[in-house]
Amino acid sequence: MIVQVPAGLRAARPAELRGLRRDGARLAVVDRASRTVHHTTVAQMDEHLGAGDALILNSSRTVPAALDVLREDRAPVQLRPWVRRPDSWDAIAVQSAPPHAPVPLRIGETLRVQDELLLRVEARREDVAALWRVAVVRGDWLDALLRFGRPIQYSYAPQPLAMEHHQTLYAGRPGSAETPSAGRHLTWELLLGLRRRGVAVADLVLHTGLSSTQDDELDATQPLLEEWFEVPAHVADAVNGASRVVAVGTSGVRALETAAVAGGGRVVPMSGWTGMRVGPERGVRAVHGLLTGLHEAGGSHLELLRAFLDDALLDRAHAEAVERGYLWHEFGDAMLVL
Amino acid sequence: MQHAAFSDTVAMVTGASRGLGRALTLELARGGASLAIAARDAAALQHVADEAGRNGAAAVLAVAADVSQPRDVERLAALALDRFGRVDVLVNNASALGPVPLPYLADVPASALHEVFETNVAGPLRLTQAMVGGMLLRGRGLVLNVSSDAAIEGYPGWGLYGASKAALDTLTRTWAAELQGSGVRVVSVDPGDMDTDMHRAADPDADPATLRAPADVARAIAALLRDGVGAAPRQVVAL
Repeated sequence: MIVQVPAGLRAARPAELRGLRRDGARLAVVDRASRTVHHTTVAQMDEHLGAGDALILNSSRTVPAALDVLREDRAPVQLRPWVRRPDSWDAIAVQSAPPHAPVPLRIGETLRVQDELLLRVEARREDVAALWRVAVVRGDWLDALLRFGRPIQYSYAPQPLAMEHHQTLYAGRPGSAETPSAGRHLTWELLLGLRRRGVAVADLVLHTGLSSTQDDELDATQPLLEEWFEVPAHVADAVNGASRVVAVGTSGVRALETAAVAGGGRVVPMSGWTGMRVGPERGVRAVHGLLTGLHEAGGSHLELLRAFLDDALLDRAHAEAVERGYLWHEFGDAMLVL
Repeated sequence: MQHAAFSDTVAMVTGASRGLGRALTLELARGGASLAIAARDAAALQHVADEAGRNGAAAVLAVAADVSQPRDVERLAALALDRFGRVDVLVNNASALGPVPLPYLADVPASALHEVFETNVAGPLRLTQAMVGGMLLRGRGLVLNVSSDAAIEGYPGWGLYGASKAALDTLTRTWAAELQGSGVRVVSVDPGDMDTDMHRAADPDADPATLRAPADVARAIAALLRDGVGAAPRQVVAL
């Protein structure tokens, strides 16, 4: 199932730079029980949630993850760390300028950012060959990204945006290479209002990897790499005590379902790495609803949606969204599945 | 008991290398706080970080940063949240006076307004935005903006600074109204005239005997924090 989206419906800029508020983005509410699609805005989401519901956010903060480094011959190359561990990265290496095509590295070569960060290429990942294992020899990689990195940009959003447009309004601990963008729409005016209505609003952390290897053939295989996550105890309690659990973003679903599998169906507090692929075969155990963006590429997003919706209802929701001119991708409009 | 007053508190203080920021950092350190401190001068900041460590701070993260620069603000927020996972108390203390000796408004280069407002208004707004989300999710937190009576009175020479502090106080009042009932408090504190480098730059002829010691003011602010600024009756507090 491929969603055909006219090029004009790819959002090049976020709502707050299109004369709207963040929560002014359009929202298709897909109700599984009544099999209806209702069109509203994110700001009106409170009409669909109430006391006893839990809205679970991913508060991972996005870091500017495109880092231009110099090779030994002083040629520039851009690293995009996908999996980040304290002393090493699994990163793709691409040209520093568009179209950012992959650049092969040499095992053993060193890469540097001024005198601040020294890296050494250790190996190539066996499962996803686009990824290089890069050891951090000297320097603080997070500080280096924060000082010298740029946000990952999308081809359909060519204008560079200030970092604030890449963050959710509740971003906490840093670690995502790309924004957990489903939550980008949510304003505190909306969230505080939901709390007053008795909705439990709580946050977990899942640090997202990249959405593309910059290699179309490889991307078509939908590589899904491990991502670090944490479900704190109070969130597990909120989820287990809720009548309905609505995850914000597919990252939230993956974290909660990983914790639910570990707990035999009940979400347990845990942290670690997850590479869980959620789809119709596995289904969902802990999560009842989902707030998400509209994405055409990356079949894994559609697969995850199919864990909630049958193809007929999903196709209808997408068709209505296209017909009504919903905008697609990270800076576009949204869908709430209940 | 007083010793452990801040042992469960993660506090962030800007403008921490000198004056009130340094004194408040050391006072919170004595209470056992975990501290994220920022200032432009890396060497002076590291010196205060070392002092804070010796004074009993549970942990100190020093970030050389200029709050008027959005990238520095984002980096400060991200490094502090990476290190401590949360920030309970944010003290927006870093301030710019603008040109000194303080000129009359008729004489000041109007372009100086930008620098003063970026440091004293936009910086605290951005840093508060970066911190308040986590505070709201936890349902508790405190943002303390360091203000001035120049926000209210029209003191000759203090026009740009006073206007920026009036703007800061307006942000404080608006934050407080919007976040009422959320468990997160935002207050402005007017520390009065203190014996600091900033005050000497602004008013070199002032008799130091008439000025308050930053350490005394820091103790008063720490007492406010300890008793839960939650109890402060107003959004703008004169010490």
